[in-house]
Amino acid sequence: MKLAVVGKGGSGKTTTAAVVARTLARHGTSVVALDCDSNPNLGISLGVGDDETERLIAMRQALDEGEQEHAPGWDDLLDRFGTDAPDGVRLAVVTAIQNPEPGCP
Amino acid sequence: MLSSVNFTHDTVIADLEAGLGTLTRLGNAQVDVVLLVVEATTKSLEVAARGADLAREKSLGRLIVIANRVRDEVDADAVRKAFPDDEVIAVPHDPAIVEADRHGVAALDAAPDAPAVRAISAMARNLLVMAGHNGSGAASV
Ligand SMILES: Nc1ncnc2c1ncn2[C@@H]1O[C@H](COP(=O)(O)OP(=O)(O)OP(=O)(O)O)[C@@H](O)[C@H]1O
Ligand SMILES: [Mg+2]
Repeated sequence: MKLAVVGKGGSGKTTTAAVVARTLARHGTSVVALDCDSNPNLGISLGVGDDETERLIAMRQALDEGEQEHAPGWDDLLDRFGTDAPDGVRLAVVTAIQNPEPGCP
Repeated sequence: MLSSVNFTHDTVIADLEAGLGTLTRLGNAQVDVVLLVVEATTKSLEVAARGADLAREKSLGRLIVIANRVRDEVDADAVRKAFPDDEVIAVPHDPAIVEADRHGVAALDAAPDAPAVRAISAMARNLLVMAGHNGSGAASV
């Protein structure tokens, strides 16, 4: 199942996405949470903390600068650029993994 | 991007950029559920109305309108009225959410019983049937 969380700036998308992701994971679903915002902060709402969220963003910027090559498959990308959030959610900041434009292309 | 993601996970949830840019770029039927988060303000309702139209035009599956930061029945009714034919879930304005953000922690950890957390969780549990039936991400591409 693929879910997209949309709405005006500041409406509560990130809050909603985080609670939904972890609730589904708690009930035995394997969940990937993709932060597609150009100002990523889903990690904080998921509970991975500031530092880890920053680390993921830094990785993204390294990619922006072409310092890292693209991984071949989605699961590889998740391994390399994702992090484990509580309840087993796997989080990735994807804005620029595949495309340097902001947002999920 | 969302169209091509192919994880060996059951469910992918994407926290999209503010506004409708990504939704505009999505192709037909590329997601199964759209969670349209809206506050009971004119501007927020306007964006959401266009979002709902796009979701329908593109057959993006089940549309759930999340009326967030609802302070009273007037707020909830304003959203229901704007989306008379859609599933509308009311999430109350909840200081516990603001407080969790202030401390950089998850509301689910800091205040698991907060009304807003409970409302969103209940809505998510309602999606479990879909999550289960759809199997792997690969199958739902
Ligand atoms: N139900 C709620 N009750 C009270 N405050 C809330 C609620 N939901 C969200 N907020 C607050 O509103 C602000 C925006 O929430 P959030 O970050 O989830 O929105 P967003 O749509 O992801 O924003 P952005 O467009 O900037 O990514 C935050 O400060 C958050 O604490
Ligand atoms: Mg956000």
